[in-house]
Amino acid sequence: MTEATGTTYGVGIGWRPEIAGFVAALPGLRFAEVIAESLAPGNPLPPALAALRERQVAVVPHGTRLSLGGAEPVDPARVRHFAQVTELLGAPLASEHIAFVRAGGMEAGHLLPLPRTREAVDAMVANVNRVQAELAVPLALEPIAAIFDWPDDELDEAQFITEILDRTGALLLLDVANVYANARNRGTDPVALLDRLPLERIGYVHVAGGATRDGIYHDTHTDPVPDAVLDLVTELCARHRPPAVLLERDGHYPPAAALRGELDAIAEASGFPLIT
Amino acid sequence: MSGSLADRQAALVATLVAGAPLPPGFDDRLVGVARSALLRKRAREVARHWPLLAAGLGDRWLSVFAGWAAARPTRGALRDGWDLARQLAAEGDLPALAAEELAAREAGWRYDGTTAPRRRRLPAVRRAGGSWVFQVAGRIWTLPPHRR
Repeated sequence: MTEATGTTYGVGIGWRPEIAGFVAALPGLRFAEVIAESLAPGNPLPPALAALRERQVAVVPHGTRLSLGGAEPVDPARVRHFAQVTELLGAPLASEHIAFVRAGGMEAGHLLPLPRTREAVDAMVANVNRVQAELAVPLALEPIAAIFDWPDDELDEAQFITEILDRTGALLLLDVANVYANARNRGTDPVALLDRLPLERIGYVHVAGGATRDGIYHDTHTDPVPDAVLDLVTELCARHRPPAVLLERDGHYPPAAALRGELDAIAEASGFPLIT
Repeated sequence: MSGSLADRQAALVATLVAGAPLPPGFDDRLVGVARSALLRKRAREVARHWPLLAAGLGDRWLSVFAGWAAARPTRGALRDGWDLARQLAAEGDLPALAAEELAAREAGWRYDGTTAPRRRRLPAVRRAGGSWVFQVAGRIWTLPPHRR
């Protein structure tokens, strides 16, 4: 089934140096992702990533610090770096977030939600355009998990995301764990959001684990993927089969058998072949 | 909430990382949860650059770091840990393990507390409690040598 990117990749995993050996040993892997800021485009690729590319595994750069949702124009040096990393990887697409990470000269240290206002849509669209002008491949945008909402929102989440995608032509990086986290913390129905998003615009999908603390569900990326998130993957794929479903794990890495089990569970939930 | 997007975003970041008051209309509890989560994440990143500082403080690492960092916006994990270690050293509260780690870093890098740290090109010596730390061409030796 061909999608916005024209290829189906199946189950993928976020490449991290700590699990490079594990990723290298996945026989069916066709799709991976690397944090864009962790690469230096002036240098050759780290050997582990070069080896993945030799095997024709698609490796997508995932930006985390461009701050595309910031009121300030995105730093041209960051855009240049992002575009160069994308080219170095020969990636079929690149991705970033519907979020901001700095303001007033201070780093937040994490992805922060945007107010869902028309002014924020305009800022996001302007910055996305600046990035797209330097990319030769499509850009996918990921809506994030937010622990709190802004007061005085003008649009709901589905409207906000859809408007940004419509005005930029960008793809959607649908993070199912974020959809789950937001719905759980707001007391809303995650499937209801899926039904209102432009699923045909999905570039790929993220899956990740989290944990509850003080009554709030945190999308930690350092915990196992809950069954409820896997169920949401199944709900999504029943509506629309994405090109790829990628596991994001950022730390507290479990034994290889457990990580393989998670990849198998994602394959089963999405109807994709096993990659282990 | 009034103000431009830039103003509103700056006010939110300031309350999250610089101890500024909560902007109107936000849920105090939820923003507090986010603040704590940010500090924990920051502590993990600093611990990666300063493992012996974190290990030396043990169970107290998070509370010591969070107490120090709560109203101080980050300067990056390397500088955050460096600033904290120096402050603890000045107060006589730096565990021995962390003191050696700091001495090794000080021997290998020049840091004025204001601008980005730079590698030293010349050899240097530092003292840490009962040990001496030597840096030559980027390699570190400690005397007395650690027992194996």
